[in-house]
Amino acid sequence: MNPSTFEAIASVLVDQFHVEAAKATPETTLEQLGLDSLALMEFVFAMEDRFDVRIPEENLDPRQAGINLGHLAQLLEDAVASRPARDVATG
Amino acid sequence: MTASAPVAVTGGGVVSPIGNDLAAFAETLFAGRSALHSQTLDLPGIDPPAAAVASATFDASRVMAPSRVPLDRGTAMALVAASDAARAAGLVAGGYEPERLGIFWGSGMAGAATFETTCRTVYAERRRMRPTSVVTTMPNAPAAELALLFGARGAALSYACACASSAVAIGEAMRAIRAGWIDVAIAGGSESMLTPGVLASWQAMRVLAPVQGADAAAACRPFSADRTGFALGEAAAAFVLESQAHAKRRGAKARWHLTGYATNCDGLHITNPDAAGQARAMRAALADAGLDAGAIGHVNAHGTATAAGDAAEAESIARVFGAHGVPVSATKAIHGHLLGAGGAVELLAALLALEARRLPPTAHTQRIDPAFALDLVMGESRESPALTHALSSSFAFGGTNAVLVASRAVPA
Repeated sequence: MNPSTFEAIASVLVDQFHVEAAKATPETTLEQLGLDSLALMEFVFAMEDRFDVRIPEENLDPRQAGINLGHLAQLLEDAVASRPARDVATG
Repeated sequence: MTASAPVAVTGGGVVSPIGNDLAAFAETLFAGRSALHSQTLDLPGIDPPAAAVASATFDASRVMAPSRVPLDRGTAMALVAASDAARAAGLVAGGYEPERLGIFWGSGMAGAATFETTCRTVYAERRRMRPTSVVTTMPNAPAAELALLFGARGAALSYACACASSAVAIGEAMRAIRAGWIDVAIAGGSESMLTPGVLASWQAMRVLAPVQGADAAAACRPFSADRTGFALGEAAAAFVLESQAHAKRRGAKARWHLTGYATNCDGLHITNPDAAGQARAMRAALADAGLDAGAIGHVNAHGTATAAGDAAEAESIARVFGAHGVPVSATKAIHGHLLGAGGAVELLAALLALEARRLPPTAHTQRIDPAFALDLVMGESRESPALTHALSSSFAFGGTNAVLVASRAVPA
């Protein structure tokens, strides 16, 4: 897991979802964040938009609240790695 | 509690262009210092490309939603104003029965700004709609978040009647308390929609005052011979209202009393005001308070500074109070037209005037329209040593009229 990926996750949780910074560790499960299913969906959307990826639903259903933040970071990195290459000139 | 009993106001809170606490608000109000400034509109094909607005100094990102979903800026303002009101009233969890607490909230277009921003992102950047778009932008989002914040179980009601929304919300809370449905209410209103699309919509109606270079601060001149319309603003104001018995039981002191309320409608025209409907509403509110017109020492007018709006209101005030019969202030000149929040913020202005026994000036109006038989407070604030009762009016697009009568908590 790249530390910058996790830092991005933690900053979104703290800034947008008012989760205590001490609570945002790689071992924290989604369930332990204290967010309901709608807020969890919003959080996953926010992370996907931040990295411009989609995590396939079969890999991450936010209702599977046992997933931890370290796992989420890995899923994001996997999605970034499998993102189709873009034409840099046209963005 | 009887149908006409005074309702105790035990606390107030505000986020506004002229102050984020009651003391700062009062200081700016009595000084007549304008918060209006020019804002460029980032929108294709817009003409003119700027409008006068009154924005609040407010960081919405620091406000935590009780629901944890993203907050519309107006809802964030509502949460802060209501928290401050509850703190001022000493209303804390455990100090009230949740089943006897209701939320009564007014907003004209709650969520419109977030919805506009979201749609711009979706169309322009081909983004997805967010899972929380509905709950962030629904018009009852402020009332819903407030109900979560206070754990209310009695009522969570939202009123959307344009510029009268929060006056109606406060009045309906009064009625619910008087009728014994609840003991205590968080009542008020919020509005924050200084976005290009919303500003352009109002500009297209030709009701916004043109921005005249450096004079943007003085763009809104209610009842003036040279008035040209209003400027939009953003704000929230909240009050803790309760029965006097409830306030006494928990040892809370009434800072003011709400003594009268009436609402009616014109049913004549979608935007044109009707002096007859306004006069009926003012008389009904006086009757509800058990007061004669002569007992009212101050009217905080709706005063939009539009040609038609001020003409109708000058006529209705003169019909009820007689020519030059009561001192009148119009405070939109300094805080802008706050739409759904206007009735609550302007009630706060009237309450602070009652408390200080000082009437705020109608800023920037130097010469009153000669057609108006009004005693308009102009220039500087005016002392009013015997002031005991005041009236605050809100007259909305759509024809809803709402009038509140407030009184000093300790009679002179």
